[in-house]
Amino acid sequence: MQSNLIHYKKNTGDFLLDARFNLQQNGITVLFGPSGSGKSMLLNCIAGIEPADLAICYINNATYDHSKSCIHLQSHARHIGYVFQDSRLFPHMNVLKNLQYGHKRVTGNNSYITLADITERFALNSLLDRFPHQLSGGQKQRVALARALLSCPKLLLLDEPLSALDHAAKQELLPYIENIQRDLTIPVIYVTHDLQEVLRLADHVLVINNGIIIDQGNLADLCITQPLLTQDEGKSFILQGNVSQVDEKQCISTVLCGDQPILISGPPLAAKQPVRILVHARDVSLCLTHSHDSSILNILAVTVNRISLPENGKQIVECLLGDIPVLALLSIRSVNKLELKPGKQIYAQFKATAMVK
Amino acid sequence: MITDAIQLDPVLITLKLALITTVVLLIIGTPLAWWLANTRTRYKTPIEAMVALPLVLPPTVLGFYLLVAFSPQGFAGKLWSYFSDTPLTFSFSGLVIGSVIYSLPFVVQPLQASFENIGKPLQQAAATLGAKPVDIFFSIVLPLSYRGFFVATTLGFAHTVGEFGVVLMIGGNIPGVTQVLSISIYDHVESLEYSAAHIYSAGLLLFSFVVLFIAYTANRRLNIRL
Repeated sequence: MQSNLIHYKKNTGDFLLDARFNLQQNGITVLFGPSGSGKSMLLNCIAGIEPADLAICYINNATYDHSKSCIHLQSHARHIGYVFQDSRLFPHMNVLKNLQYGHKRVTGNNSYITLADITERFALNSLLDRFPHQLSGGQKQRVALARALLSCPKLLLLDEPLSALDHAAKQELLPYIENIQRDLTIPVIYVTHDLQEVLRLADHVLVINNGIIIDQGNLADLCITQPLLTQDEGKSFILQGNVSQVDEKQCISTVLCGDQPILISGPPLAAKQPVRILVHARDVSLCLTHSHDSSILNILAVTVNRISLPENGKQIVECLLGDIPVLALLSIRSVNKLELKPGKQIYAQFKATAMVK
Repeated sequence: MITDAIQLDPVLITLKLALITTVVLLIIGTPLAWWLANTRTRYKTPIEAMVALPLVLPPTVLGFYLLVAFSPQGFAGKLWSYFSDTPLTFSFSGLVIGSVIYSLPFVVQPLQASFENIGKPLQQAAATLGAKPVDIFFSIVLPLSYRGFFVATTLGFAHTVGEFGVVLMIGGNIPGVTQVLSISIYDHVESLEYSAAHIYSAGLLLFSFVVLFIAYTANRRLNIRL
């Protein structure tokens, strides 16, 4: 079992970074935190473009930094791909030259990806002759992502790659980011302060605040427990499973989460595909009886586990579906009316939309 | 006849001096400007001030100290005597060294400004893509600072063509060896040969205007392109 240990300490006078964590080898690790919490500084330290006072970084059995033994690899020797918020394409090179820049500099047998493969996967063939100033924001980031991957990195860092984009461009780019993790077995650290991106992309979450990693774990757990991830209106929970049945006629797919089928309406999903279902707590309603005359597809028998303290006249009721938490945001009035208390058997109903992983 | 008084030698010497000086300046000035643009040492400011000195010093002051240094008893003169039998003062080589020092800020400052203008972000991106520092300089910095090089070359060349005081102090006025245009004009005026002085002066005026005009036009064009 290999462990990827990262620990950086840096005092800039008015800010102290002291971040230590174990990086998961597989999947996307989202580094989440408010602006000014040290996310970018940490990423720059890992990439070797910003010096730290204390630096320890082992990834994939390679030592990148170990200040006690005076080991500090220069960033060009790290094989760490970095996608910046501002894309940083080279303005004097066209897209093709930009893509080749890192690829040409891959040494020996470190190459694991080809230019043709990447240009096709990122749909860049029609853009190869263009210069960066002729690209839209979304296209720029797509090229930047492809360029970073073509350098055949052993670790990929993404620093808020979507934050400068409008909604449509974000939606266009997200699948490409999700696919990286599916197609390549390199660890990915994705920095963001956008909750929606966390919920959509994260396999693991690191929560950073004031330069310190205050919480880490898998997304489904942290969604429930970490206050920074659970601001009430946005409070949500995640169901994960695989598509078991698809009814193309009625446009309904069945996703098996554990042994609990969840029905999803909308464009049919591919069978057997792993799927993440995001449910907002505000979209969940609770009732005491199983209503057979409801338009709601998913009516699940759950047990009340915990009820939060009221905030703005609302309470979060945490129920358990087997061992999967299901959250509902209810008014105090409703909680009282249904006489909800821990241990009570009730039914949760909600509409679900799936996000393809 | 006027044409008898007009000789081509000063023109050729001036052009040769300006050309060699510009080449030497680019070779020395580029690493110096690169270093100044990137260093964090506290010696940066005094060194910048030293590079800029020729901008404010009267050329005669610079020329006087160079003359002292170049003399066979001077520091530079002694050093030179190891490499060459001819003295440094009143020689073409001495003129080149003097001109390089005199025109240094006109080359270093535009280069440094354009290097600083490119900034760290692109260079960091290049580094994460596996490019070593020298590689980054040639693949990113150099192509992106061609405007700075253009301005530096033009100014370095034009400024050397126009120098007078330093040349007079260290080069003397040896026809065919160190007599450049500006000094030749001075000579003609001294001996009241105004018509010859007119031709040289008008030629220099026109030349300077054309060079600067081309420089500014090109600079604007390039500006729009980037």
